[in-house]
Amino acid sequence: MSDTSAAAHHHTAPTSFIRKYIFSLDHKVIGIQYYFLAIFSVLIGMVLSWLVRIHLVWPQLHIWGLEKLSPAGAPGGVMTPEYYLSLLTLHGTLMVFFVLTTAPQAGFGNYALPIQIGAEDMAFPWLNMLSFWTTFVGLCCLVATLFVKDGPPISGWTAYPPLSAVGSDAGPGQGMGQNLWAVSIAIFCVGSLLGALNFIVTTVDLRAKGMSLMRMPLTCWAWLITAILSLLSFAVLFAACILLFLDRNAGTSFFLPAGLLVNEKLQPHSGGSPLLWQHLFWFFGHPEVYIAIVPGFGVISHILSTFSRKPVLGYKVIVACLLGIGFLSFMVWGHHMFLSGMSPYSGFLFSIPTLIITIPATIVSLLWLGTIFGGKLRFTTSMMFALGFISVFVTGGLGGMFLAQPSLDIFLHGTYFVVGHFHMVMGVAAIFGMFAGTYYWFPKMFGRMMNETMGKIHFWFTFVGVYCIFMPMHFIGLEGNPRRYSQFVNAFIQPLMPVHKFMTIAALSTGIIQFLFFFNLFWSIFKGPKAPNNPWESTSLEWTVPSPPPFDNFAGVHPVVNHGAYEYGEENDGKDYVMQTDPPTRAVTG
Amino acid sequence: MSSSNDPLAGVAIHGGGHIPAGVQVYPEPGTSFWSGGGLPYGIPSRKLGMWLFIVSDAITFSAVIFAYGYLRLAAADWPRPFETASIVNATVMTFVLLSSSVAMVLAVRASNLGRRGGTVGWLLATAGGGIVFDILHIREWLGLIHEGVRPFQNPWGTPMFGSAFFAMTGLHMLHVTIGVIYLLIIAMAYSNKKVTEVDVEVSGLYWHFVDLVWMFIFPLVYLLSAKVG
Amino acid sequence: MEHSETAGLKVIFSVLFGLLGLTVCEVVLAYRALPLGTMFTLLMGLSLLKAALIVAYFMHLRYEQPSLFVTLIPAFVFVILMMTVIFADSTRLAHMRSLVQ
Repeated sequence: MSDTSAAAHHHTAPTSFIRKYIFSLDHKVIGIQYYFLAIFSVLIGMVLSWLVRIHLVWPQLHIWGLEKLSPAGAPGGVMTPEYYLSLLTLHGTLMVFFVLTTAPQAGFGNYALPIQIGAEDMAFPWLNMLSFWTTFVGLCCLVATLFVKDGPPISGWTAYPPLSAVGSDAGPGQGMGQNLWAVSIAIFCVGSLLGALNFIVTTVDLRAKGMSLMRMPLTCWAWLITAILSLLSFAVLFAACILLFLDRNAGTSFFLPAGLLVNEKLQPHSGGSPLLWQHLFWFFGHPEVYIAIVPGFGVISHILSTFSRKPVLGYKVIVACLLGIGFLSFMVWGHHMFLSGMSPYSGFLFSIPTLIITIPATIVSLLWLGTIFGGKLRFTTSMMFALGFISVFVTGGLGGMFLAQPSLDIFLHGTYFVVGHFHMVMGVAAIFGMFAGTYYWFPKMFGRMMNETMGKIHFWFTFVGVYCIFMPMHFIGLEGNPRRYSQFVNAFIQPLMPVHKFMTIAALSTGIIQFLFFFNLFWSIFKGPKAPNNPWESTSLEWTVPSPPPFDNFAGVHPVVNHGAYEYGEENDGKDYVMQTDPPTRAVTG
Repeated sequence: MSSSNDPLAGVAIHGGGHIPAGVQVYPEPGTSFWSGGGLPYGIPSRKLGMWLFIVSDAITFSAVIFAYGYLRLAAADWPRPFETASIVNATVMTFVLLSSSVAMVLAVRASNLGRRGGTVGWLLATAGGGIVFDILHIREWLGLIHEGVRPFQNPWGTPMFGSAFFAMTGLHMLHVTIGVIYLLIIAMAYSNKKVTEVDVEVSGLYWHFVDLVWMFIFPLVYLLSAKVG
Repeated sequence: MEHSETAGLKVIFSVLFGLLGLTVCEVVLAYRALPLGTMFTLLMGLSLLKAALIVAYFMHLRYEQPSLFVTLIPAFVFVILMMTVIFADSTRLAHMRSLVQ
């Protein structure tokens, strides 16, 4: 229990609507708020992905509504190449930051971490609320780029200078759009930083009696490690965004060299280096992708164990691997820069830890398989998504082994191979983690059950669909199909156009199926059957309290933990599991 | 863990004070605080939170300083324009900030001794030091601007000099100013008994951090660009 | 823990004078004619010493649990060390610029 002066912690349940649902200090409400922020962002991001995929295969199609959104960007509803890049940039930025860096960590983590460790709330509830609303403001700034005159920036979610640093000379969206982008991301960094320190202090200081670090569910370890990565890496992105903003608005030249001619206009800057941005950005960017996936590792480990009725195989090894992945993630950023012109010696130095980081990831995947092997599997929807996670993560991860080698990356960088790789691991695996977490924690969050039939349909169509969308990208990438092109006019790509059509149709279909999930989600919040305390017969602390929990989680009781998080498969009074708070048995496990 | 050298030993409650009744400060025999139910680092959560914030903010400053280093190493004509007067001014600013840090330590000490008036006094002294620092800094900025230094040009060498200078010192000055406001709020709140000695100590950590950053900016920005000979 | 109230004060003022002294050393050093690399190394060394004094005594880290130090400082140092890799490209840039000249 932390020091609790009255100023730091609320003791009575809020009563007004605003205090309960809008400016709430309750981590459960804040977690759900982050989750719905991510849902909102993923909807926009998904529609943007449809627009770009449609444009790639039917470039002359008049898309309804697009001209109204941007008369200059889509005259007659036909996307200009620049507007294609604008929509692509917004897609990437929204998805990476406002979906994958919010829901898995701040969404589920905020909701479940305090309860899973036996605490009443996070260490700093007010700061938690501030983090959410800061992130919200960041989202508003980003979405605003759709509605400013020249639209969103065209420089990609990676915002490389010189394009991003020059200003409106460089193209549409590079004036106000890029400024809003920089401000949005800088604000997001602040929200993430505040959230990260909240998570770390909560996990360290607020664990209930008996909840040692090694008894924590793996979800808590994952959130802790992710928070540490966030704390250290967002700091660098924040600095980079400040410097970019200064380059754009104060005439500085951190990233702009001398003699730059942009659209026949000589830029007044001199002395800077675009490579510097790449270093700073990817120093953040690589830990960022682990921030996106590590919470998923935690959720999947937890769910696989629950629905195999078996303890996680190699709990301590998984913890060590997650720590190893976190540590190594700071040593590999240059693998995004093999073709940037950076020192080739650096290239070599970066490829080694990149290959090494596959080892702990592989070990974790094998331990998952070991967890389910011999288990009494219960094929709930969340379990299906957890099993699917293993499949898609391994598939996507294998692509990374190719890209880790500079000699291969020379050919593959900037092709659809990369697009396929990162979509499989981030756009699919991490999202599967979110789906698995949703189906698992929904009963606890809303006190009702989601519909399993709809869930299974959702799973199968999505699972098949994502392979249809992203697997072919690896092959067309090997053929040399470049990425970030709004049209493929080269002769050598024409034979691949049927593949593009196939992927577009798959993307649209898989996207449509997600509305079944959204329907299931929203319908069940109001009309789903009531959920018991522990519908999944799971051992962690959140399943000892009612669904949904009281505002202070444990109704004033301080839980005492006597068991580890994964005691499944043990005979215990007719049940096959031992709750973490059950009385100690003769052999007290740690 | 404290030795007799500890300035706060004997006057500080273990962990910085104000741990509510019933919360164990020392673990039961045979367990450690890593087993849950206590504070493994023996410090209040707010203090740990501020330390983590400081680590992150230190990394942000480091990234900006590294950007400066990167560009300076790559530049052929980095100017060294700071006359003796500038260096003396910057040295005085360093002394002011260091002294304000000592005032802060004395404020924390006073708060741990329960001396409300003394605490507020030392907090105001610290904030005063920060204000003096800001004034000296702005005077210096105005002087440089008068000589023609801008973020995008200067009379002496690569335009990057101005970019780096204003970015680093500007970011630092922003932190000092926020610190002054923070300290004034804490001083007011402490005298109205709205916050505790823990909060005073937490604000102290931030202030020392701001001082610490200046320990790097001073040599890297000023001394390495001093006009020698 | 009984001891005189002024013993702690002695330490603080010793540290302050140490810091002021180190600052004076730095300023004197700045006016020596030394190559930039050497000057940088020496100044950084002195600054690190000053930083260590501030962290240890003003920020009280010396008197906290060792685990706190182990948690905070190595992670920070690691991140800084990793960031130094970028200087390989900085020196290359300088070299390439000198060729163009």
